[in-house]
Amino acid sequence: MTQETVSEKPPLDRDSLRDVIDLSLWAGQMLLQHGADTDRVEHTVHLIGTSLGAEWLDILVSPNALVVTTISGDEFRTKVRRVVTLGVNLAVVCAINDLSYRISWGQVDRAAARVELVSISNLRHNYNRWVVILMVGLACAALSRLFGGDWAVFLVTLVASGSAMFVRQEMVRRHFNPFIIVVVTAFVAGAVASSASIFRLSPQPQIALAAAVLLLVPGVHLINSFQDMIRGHMVTGLVRGFTGAVISMCIALGLLLAMQLLNVGGL
Amino acid sequence: MNLLVILQDLLWSGIAAIGFAVLFNVPPKTLIPCFICGASGHAFRTILMELGMSITVGTLAGASMVGLLGAYFARRYETPSLVFAICGAIPMVPGAFAFRAMLGVIRISQATPAAGEPILMEAAINFINTGLILAAIALGIAMPTLLFRRRKPVV
Repeated sequence: MTQETVSEKPPLDRDSLRDVIDLSLWAGQMLLQHGADTDRVEHTVHLIGTSLGAEWLDILVSPNALVVTTISGDEFRTKVRRVVTLGVNLAVVCAINDLSYRISWGQVDRAAARVELVSISNLRHNYNRWVVILMVGLACAALSRLFGGDWAVFLVTLVASGSAMFVRQEMVRRHFNPFIIVVVTAFVAGAVASSASIFRLSPQPQIALAAAVLLLVPGVHLINSFQDMIRGHMVTGLVRGFTGAVISMCIALGLLLAMQLLNVGGL
Repeated sequence: MNLLVILQDLLWSGIAAIGFAVLFNVPPKTLIPCFICGASGHAFRTILMELGMSITVGTLAGASMVGLLGAYFARRYETPSLVFAICGAIPMVPGAFAFRAMLGVIRISQATPAAGEPILMEAAINFINTGLILAAIALGIAMPTLLFRRRKPVV
């Protein structure tokens, strides 16, 4: 971006600049909260801010906060926004991505962008909770087949991870600590999956144990961690990686607890 | 290697990909491309591993395929490529390696030094595999951007 293109923009007054920083920061916060990698957050915030009239934005993405400075003419404003939870909701990422392009094409002004951001933050889930339970169960059961399990293992894994997903949804709704949720969910998955071993349903019952907890694996955190690091965002990459490691530790704890209580071994 | 094995691999890894896609709340129109990404990436890895490549190299190739397919679908469905890349890579994520490594770490705490040695080694091997496979996934799904959309950093 060159100096000539920048200076073509009319300078914004302080109130408009506040609006611009508010909107772009809000979009960035939702991206970071719902599973976007750092590069995408930076580019989207920059695109929205410059398209809404700011000349330049300086963005600092930290694992639990966003700092943005907007610059226009001689004015500049800075704002910090905390980002609390790191979850995954790709519908929100898609909606913000779409909005950022429409803003950059000039189809959406500041007032309309605010209305759209409100509706994105109230976006409903695309799938009914029972559909999610069934699909997550099927996904883990499918992975058990990839690990070489037979049909008995498939069924046990389906039931185990489905019931674990149910417990997880109930605990998320009651706002338990995320790491406690992982331990308890892994315990439930491990306990149900142990039935393959206890009732000798299959020659390789340990596959059911290994596959049933896979719904908890922090795949997005781990992938984003390395995505951030290869693009030079070391701090966010390290924190995401460490979060992923702690979650894996919680999975192991819950699983071990179930295996020791039910006296099942072999993993 | 027979065709049936590959077809089964395609089917199960595709189902795993859309299962997690539903968990991640992707737009419903992207479920079929997510299936294709997940299935082809994992099956490609399986074929390469059958041919004697290591799991890391296989994952790099499989994830590159997911990345390229994702870049194509992103244009076709007007959806960020991240959706296809993440959901397509999920069947390859070393989840079992990750928690086996942690299981080993917990078990070391109860072992004597002599008995702990093999457990420690196993945990270390699992841990290193987790890291290498994840790096291969990240590099692979970023491949289209790293190769074709190099841009000056904006911030």
